[in-house]
Amino acid sequence: MNKRLLIIEDDTVLQKALSSYLTAESFEVMCALDGEEGVKMAISEKPDLILLDIVLPKKDGYQVLQEVKANEESKHIPIVLLTNLGSIADVEKALEMGATTYLVKADYKLEEVTAKIKEILNIK
Amino acid sequence: MKFQKIKQRIFDEFNLVKQADELGIKVWQTPSFLFIAMGVVIIAAMGGVYIVSANYNSPEILALSELAVTGLLFTIGSLIIKTVEEIAKANKMKTEFVSVASHQLKTPIAEINWEIELLQSKFSEGLDAKQSEIINEIIRSSEKMGRLVNDLLDVARIDQGQLALNKEKIDICALVKEAVEAQQVIAKAFNVELRESYPIRPVEIIIDRRRILVAFDNLVSNAIKYIDGHGVVEIFLEEKDGMVQVCVRDSGVGIPRSEQAKIAQKFFRSNNSIKNKTDGTGLGLYIAKNIVEQSGGSFWFKSEEGVGSEFYFTLPTVQTKKA
Repeated sequence: MNKRLLIIEDDTVLQKALSSYLTAESFEVMCALDGEEGVKMAISEKPDLILLDIVLPKKDGYQVLQEVKANEESKHIPIVLLTNLGSIADVEKALEMGATTYLVKADYKLEEVTAKIKEILNIK
Repeated sequence: MKFQKIKQRIFDEFNLVKQADELGIKVWQTPSFLFIAMGVVIIAAMGGVYIVSANYNSPEILALSELAVTGLLFTIGSLIIKTVEEIAKANKMKTEFVSVASHQLKTPIAEINWEIELLQSKFSEGLDAKQSEIINEIIRSSEKMGRLVNDLLDVARIDQGQLALNKEKIDICALVKEAVEAQQVIAKAFNVELRESYPIRPVEIIIDRRRILVAFDNLVSNAIKYIDGHGVVEIFLEEKDGMVQVCVRDSGVGIPRSEQAKIAQKFFRSNNSIKNKTDGTGLGLYIAKNIVEQSGGSFWFKSEEGVGSEFYFTLPTVQTKKA
């Protein structure tokens, strides 16, 4: 069965590019455009992995991370942060809160993002 | 030689128009002008007080004149402080602006890169050779823009003292070999031969891999760019006294002696014979120097116009850290 991914990203261009690429790589992709919707979908849909932006409307990435990790239904889901904030302080904060890893959007190719996802989900 | 240097320095210190131009303020606001003004006022005041004390035998008048002089000195002093504060504030704002603007630019760059990658890898069916060539040109331009934005962001972080180093243990020889390999295409395009020499054993160091790669790449690409016609770039790695020394030597146009002191300054580009044939922002060496120094190493160079340049940097090896 195809692995299910949830992308929480408000930049529609990035979100569409990422979801098209991942769909072509045989993932089942769901998208949320803000933090609030993201938390709801994470809990109701229980995806295999969440790709999470930090700067988001309604609830920011840190808040989403905290709520998803605090919920019994969703706390096991690995979360990969997609960010343009390259500073170590931001990243450390997210990792301490339970994120699996982070990717700086402008520095990673879609191919590399996909490779990271496959590595976390143990897909060969 | 030394005397000339001192003379040049004094001349620079009191070149008010140049100073005002560099700091973006009016001539009368430059610290040097205010300093000279203060000196003149002190001398005039001393003379004034002397005249007053010689002509009027009155302690009240003397006290009043001294009070007036003190007031004047305080006014000029506070003007100097205010100017310096304003310069510092403007500098901070500029750095913050660069930082914010670069962050904002990173999003559209990511968008362009991802869209093109998607097009090339998943939706390339039906694209002919010409179309693919155009897409490759767009990719190169976008990569160039990405590098520029990263450079600006690095400079802003260096100026704010926030350049974070993500350190890991690596073999510097392997890193340099990989970087040289990546530069081969450009070297060939410029008719430049790259020669390398390494220690026999691997040399382990603890550094930020990506950033040291940026520093080294900046040196090698400069060496290649500043060779006029055919030439050779030699890369030497040596391990000595707990440090690894990397040297990038070129047979290029060299740096004029009068410009050597400014070479690692921000936005400085040497006014040599092929300046206009090469593109650059004048940020590469500034970034390289700061990355190396923040990693615990040193950075220096030797250069002779018409002969070539040698750029060196050192980094502490793992053994040093243990000792």
